[in-house]
Amino acid sequence: MNEDDAMTEPDTSTSLTQDARRAGGTGEEMIRCERVQKWFGDFQALRDIDLVVGRQEVVVVCGPSGSGKSTLIRCVNRLEKHDGGRIVVDGIELSDDIRNIQEVRREVGMVFQQFNLFPHLTILENVTLAPRQVRRVPKAEAEQHGMELLERVKIPEQAHKYPAQLSGGQQQRVAIARALAMKPKVMLFDEPTSALDPEMIKEVLDAMVQLAESGMTMIVVTHEMGFARAVADRIVFMADGQIVEVGTPTHFFTNPQEERTKLFLSQIL
Amino acid sequence: MSEIKVHSSEYRPPPPDRPPSGTRSPGVWVRQNLFNTWYNSLFTLILVPAIGYVVYRAIRFVLVTARWEIVEVNLTNLMVGTFPRSELWRPWAAVAILALVIGLGLGVTARANVEAARIRGIELTTSWQQNARRAAPALLLVAALVTFVRTATPLILLAATVVLAVAGYLVGRRIPPHRRRWMHLAVITGLLGSYVVVTQFDGVSLDRWGGLMLTVFLAIGGIAMAFPVGVLIALGRRSTLPAIRLVSVVYIELIRGMPLIALLFMGWLILPFMLPVGFPTPGRTWRVVIILLLFTAAYVAEIVRGGLQSIPRGQYEAAQALGLPPWKTMRLIILPQALRNVIPAMVGQFISLFKDTSLVLIVGLTDLLAVARRVTQQPEFLGQGLHAETLLFVSFIYWVGSYWMSRESQRLETRLGLGER
Repeated sequence: MNEDDAMTEPDTSTSLTQDARRAGGTGEEMIRCERVQKWFGDFQALRDIDLVVGRQEVVVVCGPSGSGKSTLIRCVNRLEKHDGGRIVVDGIELSDDIRNIQEVRREVGMVFQQFNLFPHLTILENVTLAPRQVRRVPKAEAEQHGMELLERVKIPEQAHKYPAQLSGGQQQRVAIARALAMKPKVMLFDEPTSALDPEMIKEVLDAMVQLAESGMTMIVVTHEMGFARAVADRIVFMADGQIVEVGTPTHFFTNPQEERTKLFLSQIL
Repeated sequence: MSEIKVHSSEYRPPPPDRPPSGTRSPGVWVRQNLFNTWYNSLFTLILVPAIGYVVYRAIRFVLVTARWEIVEVNLTNLMVGTFPRSELWRPWAAVAILALVIGLGLGVTARANVEAARIRGIELTTSWQQNARRAAPALLLVAALVTFVRTATPLILLAATVVLAVAGYLVGRRIPPHRRRWMHLAVITGLLGSYVVVTQFDGVSLDRWGGLMLTVFLAIGGIAMAFPVGVLIALGRRSTLPAIRLVSVVYIELIRGMPLIALLFMGWLILPFMLPVGFPTPGRTWRVVIILLLFTAAYVAEIVRGGLQSIPRGQYEAAQALGLPPWKTMRLIILPQALRNVIPAMVGQFISLFKDTSLVLIVGLTDLLAVARRVTQQPEFLGQGLHAETLLFVSFIYWVGSYWMSRESQRLETRLGLGER
């Protein structure tokens, strides 16, 4: 259960997979990170990250700012290139091969802190762009699927508006729909509620809870501990580029093992 | 106490107050703006008579003193230079084609604007004053030409051209938005067609063009080709391939470090010798077009680079995360936004190019300005000092073109940016 223990073992793969299985996924492995390293210049952002996420598992990553949470999930879809170790997503190892990267990106959806909607396209165009351009879905089919997704995130009536006409919460829900339009197997969330006004956080979290219940594999970087407690199968606590502790929500909140985790929890709870 | 409702179940915001009325009488405006302090009163008392005098002299010259017959007699020269008079139907046909496609383009864009505004929930009302102001430069030019025309034929043809432009506009308004992409094709075909109709089929070679016709050709040709080339070089400068990046940087810095006149001389004198043996040397006018295009492309590239840098990283990342390949990210996400951000600078560069075409007179081309200089040497006008009339007339034409571009760019900016950001 404790990541430090896992790292002392010579072969980490079996114990990592068992971790994922115990925690709630189907047992099939979706994402595997082995001894992942990442430097920004001289600064080491990630050191020896070992993590396996099972299919349909929801993993929440938390930790103080600068601890490498965002860097970790940005490595999973290669927005950042990792400098050491291996990352395997759904059986495809991320390497310098651009085809592998594109293939992984098609399977992995991402939601950003700053929404990053395309301001010159309407909401529906934002949602249908990738399926039409990358998966070559015909226009009518893409729009029908897009409208279904917008209904799922409860904003079908905004379909023909532009992003700037929507509130922050609505924009973030569009961003979720846009990522889902590619029918991804994994969804990454990079602090999806951090840029939102307080009254809009709930509508975005509701959409994420609904998504988790539908069986999506998710890695969520967030400070929303209520969400983590309710939805996460496992919580990963990071500090200084390392995974300090991994555990189920109950274990994490009631019985943290490491001093660093206790300190973090005492400051945010 | 009856206003206080305790059982109100639903929150209603209070009704908005009216903003304070801002209308002031002209007398109050003058006192508040022109005579509010002693020094402001002094400026007003000095400047009003001075401006009045200059305006009076200008109007008096234009309406009374000026001997406009030099423009009247030479109007055809100013329009087409030494273009063979028996072939004048060709430029007229070209003008007709251009009028049609420009009208068509304006019509399609107008409709697209209305639809876009409807989506964004903005009422787009165009008052007739706005339309009049928009058309004012073109109307002024037509009015000036009509004043100087002595025979009936050009007037009839001019009227027919205007009718064609209006017809194109009305057709454009009827084209549904999803067929809009054909409009670009129509405009390009129109531009090429107007060139073909003048030069091909026993037509007149480019080197015999002159006057306004040549100026417009140089400007449109330069702009239409410098834009795509400039965008490509800007992308080249940001390329991940070092060789392409190096070539782009060297090109931009080299061209921007040389005066346009030096480049024009090079195109005239050196370019023919630098071409491979057996390669047909382009005509003199084409060489000038190529130089203008290469010159402007370097500046366009730097403007576009600025636009590319104004796009936040998040836009690239969002497109990458969706699996869009790099060139589609550029074409569908980055360039549309980047180019919109640089419309003012870009149009400024094009206005600059339009006026810089007058430099071609130093390599022997008879553009609008060159014709204006030459007609004062004609036997009937020699030594009479009619420089002001001709220079004023061609300056007016340059001004109409530049002002029109400037106004249209402002419109484009506001229309494209409706409701965004």
